[in-house]
Amino acid sequence: MKKLLLSAVLSVPLWVFGQGFQVNLQGQKQIGMAGAGSALALDEASVFYNPGAVSFLEKNSISAGVNPLLFKSAFKQTGSNITENVKNKIAPPFEAYAVWGPKSNKWKLGIGVYTPFGGLVDWGNEWSGRYALTSLNLKAIYFQPTLSVKITDHIGIGAGFVYNHGDVNLQRALPVNYPDGRSGHATLEGTGSGYGWNAGLYIKTLSNITFAVVHKSKVVTKLNDGTATFDVPSSLRSSFPEGNTFNAELPLPSTTTLGIGVPLSKSTTLAFDASWVQWHIYKELAFDYAVNTSALADTRSARNYRDGSSFKMGINHQASEKLALRAGVGYAFSPVQDGYVTPEAPDADRYILSAGVGYAPTSHFELNASFFFEDVKSRQQKNIETGLDGTFKTLVYAPGLSLTYKW
Amino acid sequence: MVGDINMKKIIFNSLVAATILFAASCKPEIETPAARTAGTANFSKYIAIGNSLTSGYADGGLYLEGQKVAYPNLLAAQMATVGGGSFTSPFFTDAQANGSGYISLSALVNGTPTLTPVLGNGWRDTPTNTRLFKYSGEIQNLGIPGMRLDLAFDPTFTFSAANMFFERLLTDAQVGKVNYAAYIQGRNHTFFSLWLGNNDALGYALNGGVTTDATTVLTEKTTFSFLYTNMLNILTAGGQKGVVATIPDVTAVPYFNTVTPAALLAAAKAINPAAAAIYIQTGTGAVRVATSEDLIRLPFQTAGLLGTGSIPYGLHPLNPIANNWVLDKDEVIKVKDYVNSYNSTIKSLANNKGLAVADTYTYFNTVKAGISVQGININAAFITGGAFSLDGIHLTPRGNAAIANVFVDAINAKYGSTIPTIDITKYRGVKYPDSK
Repeated sequence: MKKLLLSAVLSVPLWVFGQGFQVNLQGQKQIGMAGAGSALALDEASVFYNPGAVSFLEKNSISAGVNPLLFKSAFKQTGSNITENVKNKIAPPFEAYAVWGPKSNKWKLGIGVYTPFGGLVDWGNEWSGRYALTSLNLKAIYFQPTLSVKITDHIGIGAGFVYNHGDVNLQRALPVNYPDGRSGHATLEGTGSGYGWNAGLYIKTLSNITFAVVHKSKVVTKLNDGTATFDVPSSLRSSFPEGNTFNAELPLPSTTTLGIGVPLSKSTTLAFDASWVQWHIYKELAFDYAVNTSALADTRSARNYRDGSSFKMGINHQASEKLALRAGVGYAFSPVQDGYVTPEAPDADRYILSAGVGYAPTSHFELNASFFFEDVKSRQQKNIETGLDGTFKTLVYAPGLSLTYKW
Repeated sequence: MVGDINMKKIIFNSLVAATILFAASCKPEIETPAARTAGTANFSKYIAIGNSLTSGYADGGLYLEGQKVAYPNLLAAQMATVGGGSFTSPFFTDAQANGSGYISLSALVNGTPTLTPVLGNGWRDTPTNTRLFKYSGEIQNLGIPGMRLDLAFDPTFTFSAANMFFERLLTDAQVGKVNYAAYIQGRNHTFFSLWLGNNDALGYALNGGVTTDATTVLTEKTTFSFLYTNMLNILTAGGQKGVVATIPDVTAVPYFNTVTPAALLAAAKAINPAAAAIYIQTGTGAVRVATSEDLIRLPFQTAGLLGTGSIPYGLHPLNPIANNWVLDKDEVIKVKDYVNSYNSTIKSLANNKGLAVADTYTYFNTVKAGISVQGININAAFITGGAFSLDGIHLTPRGNAAIANVFVDAINAKYGSTIPTIDITKYRGVKYPDSK
């Protein structure tokens, strides 16, 4: 496996790079396979994974699932003997899909609501990096109506329009002290929206080996008139006026995925996905305040992400008519360059392990469960902008469950 | 049906397994490179030799809050993780917590500060207020505000009575009979820090380059070298290891960088648009227009002199800003030259003795330019810079934590020890007034 990964890496030397805020939890079956499956017409989650494969789905269906995600990150200042941990907060990535088409026809309609980007990190108000960040709660919810057409018995294409509703709450401590010694605090909160698309091509060869090419466009999410609240000693109030607002822009990157599906036997299928995440558009995180003062200038924090990539392999085994078992492994290259690692996304290259199980008590109902685990490598960094100097280490745990009704 | 039960069992078991795995989801671990060690040093009894910076003097006074966060105290707390013992300091009691008194920031209007004195309650001779309550008992923070290298060897012993912070620590029998070099001996230390010599240049500079008494002398370079050698010989008499610190550039502190001729002229013009230039009297007695290379002392801001008198003070060549308010360009060059000489002496003597060097000279210059440490921007700006307290010379708790880490790094590098660094974010900068 390692060798395979390594050769995959070497064959694409320009894809040096994974994840950032990307959340790869969009369908229980695919999650159980480490997120691979763009080349499989597995279920209604193909609306996300490959709109082109939707027209190859045999049934109409509707499903909903959730993956409570626990992001456990630790930090140790360089030279320190104290390890600090994020608070246990559970983020709720979810997904819901519906796919419908007249039985004999070559087209299908689909809709998906899912959360491809997000972050929930709460380091608390006392940790040693609090002047860089105390907490981030970022949610991007994509709504995607989709049309998929089976051009021939071997080729399907599909595309969907994406509307993103974004929600962000970013907080940090300010290094100005009240008479009792406590620090000031800044809270930036806002909602925004953005648009994009998701299109895919699905090819089923005569040998039943399947191929996928999928491109999900970038979604530049604009936040307008977010609220900027500064808790500071009253003598600094004129520098940090009350009722201030801000505009910001969060560019969510495009992703290009190549997938292969290989039927090993009648009941067992192997899926391989290689994704190229075009994070390079995330150049900076800029806040443009409505009211500027000598102490409160607009901020432009360089992020300078490079493109990320991931390689995922999963296996789906239909153990019986009613029971399916899944497993997957993957590896992702971080888009965050040295010097730009921040506590809101303490990113590094990561290993992915997953397992899943599906159970269909009747021909109409299906229950799928998954467990997704990521081991983000330990990374010692000194941030160029903030001087935050230390080692981050993160583990991600996400169990998930979904219910499907088919007809 | 049987198969169904098996499937349910498998699903059930997998879910249980997943739940257990989730619940047991161990915290991520960050490995520490090596076990904590004192390396080749022995921190079991650490003593700190120095002046006001070592004592925790801040905001123009010595008071309990400052004493507690003096860099040697922060350092000693970290040393405790690598075999360091207890560290005692001559703290004021809670009832005397305001010590010699200090200044606080009571208002900040459009960036203009109002500084208000907080009266001391550490006096034993109220209302004269020249003598502090005595402190008896063994101490390891031996920093004395105002201590100079030359006066540490005061052959007349008069400084022990003249300096109230030194007098406070002495028995009645010792006052007038002992100098600092003698006082610090016989303490069975295993490790020391020495940050002394600042006042040998700063005393002169703070008086505008005018020598009026023994505390405002610019110590001769050869004298400095001779006495520093003696001091190191005393401290290493038993083969002890230690860390010495260089002397910061006196122009790196807000005391000399806040009140600029340009700012004064702007203030004068606001009142009288006819004001054309700021005039100063230099060390040679000459009167000339001030340039940006002439440094005016911070207290001039609140002295209320500018523009006063029938010939407006500082705005006319016949009534220039007096010599003692200004460290003029030539005096700046002179002080810098002396400090550079002191620092080469300190470094070369330390190297000869195999001692660690905390290069605070370089660090203060870095702070002057502005740095970001753990998400905090610190610089040498008065009040907003965060590193310097309200007297413009001494450090805030945050500044002490930053400097203590310079010592930690120097000690660890020299002796192969692994003293953990101090979390600077736990320490405050200047306290801003709050009406709530």
